[in-house]
Amino acid sequence: MFRNMLKRSWLSIKRKLGRTVILTLIFFMMANLVLAAFIIKSAVSAQMDYAKSTLGGTISIQADMGAIRENQEEEMKNGSDPSKMFKSMSRPSVNVNTANEIVTTYTDYIKDYSYEISVSANSYNLETVETKSFGGRGGSMMGGMPNMGNFFGGANADDDSSEATLDSDITIYGINAYAYIDGVDDETITIKDGTYFDEDSTDSVMVSYEFAELNSLKVGDTFKIKNIYTEKSISLTVIGIYDTSSERANANTMYMNTETAAKFFDTDEYNNGNYAVGDVKFYMINSDKADEFVEKVNAEFVELSENNLKFAVDTSEYDSLSSSIESVGGFADTILIIVIIAAIIIITLIVTINVKDRRYEIGVLMSLGASKKNVIGQIATELLIIGTLGFALASVTGTVFATSLGNDILESQATASSKQSERNFGRPGAMMGGMPGGFNGGSRNSSSKSDIPDMPDGTAPNMKDIIGGRDSKKKELDINAELLDYLLLFVTGYLVIVVALILPSVSIMRYQPKEILAGKE
Amino acid sequence: MNAKKNTLIIENLSYSYQNGDRTQKILDNINAKFESGKIYAIVGESGSGKTTFLSLVSALDKLQDGDVKYNTESLRNITGQEYRLKYVNIVFQSYNLIKYMTAAENVEVASDFDGRKVDPNKYLEKVGITEEEGKRLIGKLSGGQQQRVAIARALASNSPIIMADEPTGNLDEDTEEKIIEIFRDLAHKDNKIVIIVTHSRQVAKKADKVLTLRRGKLQ
Repeated sequence: MFRNMLKRSWLSIKRKLGRTVILTLIFFMMANLVLAAFIIKSAVSAQMDYAKSTLGGTISIQADMGAIRENQEEEMKNGSDPSKMFKSMSRPSVNVNTANEIVTTYTDYIKDYSYEISVSANSYNLETVETKSFGGRGGSMMGGMPNMGNFFGGANADDDSSEATLDSDITIYGINAYAYIDGVDDETITIKDGTYFDEDSTDSVMVSYEFAELNSLKVGDTFKIKNIYTEKSISLTVIGIYDTSSERANANTMYMNTETAAKFFDTDEYNNGNYAVGDVKFYMINSDKADEFVEKVNAEFVELSENNLKFAVDTSEYDSLSSSIESVGGFADTILIIVIIAAIIIITLIVTINVKDRRYEIGVLMSLGASKKNVIGQIATELLIIGTLGFALASVTGTVFATSLGNDILESQATASSKQSERNFGRPGAMMGGMPGGFNGGSRNSSSKSDIPDMPDGTAPNMKDIIGGRDSKKKELDINAELLDYLLLFVTGYLVIVVALILPSVSIMRYQPKEILAGKE
Repeated sequence: MNAKKNTLIIENLSYSYQNGDRTQKILDNINAKFESGKIYAIVGESGSGKTTFLSLVSALDKLQDGDVKYNTESLRNITGQEYRLKYVNIVFQSYNLIKYMTAAENVEVASDFDGRKVDPNKYLEKVGITEEEGKRLIGKLSGGQQQRVAIARALASNSPIIMADEPTGNLDEDTEEKIIEIFRDLAHKDNKIVIIVTHSRQVAKKADKVLTLRRGKLQ
């Protein structure tokens, strides 16, 4: 019986070619759009995972100003010793050993980290550039730093911007690697000559173009500068000359890695790792786990809160990007719903017209003893065969069409994602879950070095070059149809057929052979 | 050898249409008995209820009053679809063939729903259609050939009752003659009950029994 039904269906498909072609085209177009929607949805899901891994959020350690204020008020009420009050007013700092311990303990949460070290220094024989104000990167970091123990990075950045001068001429700014410097991302700071430093660039320094010009310094030159507090001097080699477009920049700021900057501390402090680091940031593997990380670290490192330090979670980049990506997902959902509804309506109409057109044939079959189920079964079988053909064709072309469409739609998000991801992936010092090593001679993880492109001799690297791996990372954003997408396409397609058959089936169930055949007579 | 006598019994068959407020009685308490091996012609004026009678007896329409029985099986005890599948095949004036199929495929359809496998050429040959003609799409055959295909399909259905509604209405005299012969063979050789609803005197003449429908009564 089923074989006979299949045979009749096949004859109908084969002999009514016009109808078959139209239906195949409709299924084909529907399938392409459905596949595109599924691919976009898969891509959105992949993008979200990608965004989570690349923009996992940043957690920084900051001074808890509220707690500090409360302590001060408490001290004042109790009439404490003014020296103690002064101590309570001093800003808290993070010891490098604590920071390193957090990094090594929570490798499951942290993919990267950065610390900053600022040192006020004087040179022996170099001139300094006369600056308009004391704002800008280095100045803001350095200006009001009376001693190294009172260092707490970004939290005090604004405090010193109004100060007019200080005893030091030069600001030493130590950070994991060049790419972490604010301004590199947006290319406010660019390399004019030489190259950048990273965690392995010991005793290397990047000076500003103005400073280099003033002192006739070029890449490879060596000079000596000293910490104005410790009087400790270090000999530095110019590895690169940077230029900045920021008006607030201090041309007397020198950039180097933290290892080199830490050498300006007392020898004991440096050897014991007993010095403060500022602007401590942990880059999370997954932004969803940021709160969990904070909770665990707070529980284990109680000295942080006792020392009026707190964690500030920043997942804004991820949140911003994810909402953007989610909107594409929503768009894909809308496409999917519209296409499915449109397909159901169109196929319903076509099948209804087709059933009406075949009313007489249906009457004949019923007069021969066919049940209404037999008739509906035959029409369903025809649609399923034609649908399978349309879906199969779409599976071939859809891979190209849908992927292209999906990529186009996601392009803006992908670009945004790339830009954001540059900041994390491009970091030469990226740890990516590895052991960060310590500041006191611990081995540095340099796995991310492979992401950095080799610069042609004499060519100054730009951000894109430094980001390295950008193109290879972008591949991860490419979207492709997967087996599940095809499976979903076929399942959705067949469901559309089943739903589209409801109305025509109701119509068939109401058919009376006598009315059909009497009408014919 | 005497073939088994099968009977189609019509008991108190009545049928009426609702025409506005008025009920129009088409068939009025008809009783009749049709035997296998015989060809019956039902004649009557237009509007006398011939097609209604055929529709009821072939289960194309639902019974209102009365009953139709094939031997002891009452139409009231089975569905119309089962009844048609098991007992009746209908030959229409307009042939009622499926256009996208060949002659042979149309004949094969007759056995699609009862699970049998038939050789269509065997039945087509019986009605004078060659194997070559059997491969043609229905639209490529003449009216007479199409009617023969319809009869071949009725033969292939293996139904004991063949109902025909003006089977020669669209055919020329020569073809009509040949078609009537086929029907006679179906009754006399294949031991089927053949009931032909017709206006044609020629057909009526060839029938074993002629029944006239007048004012809802079968006489």
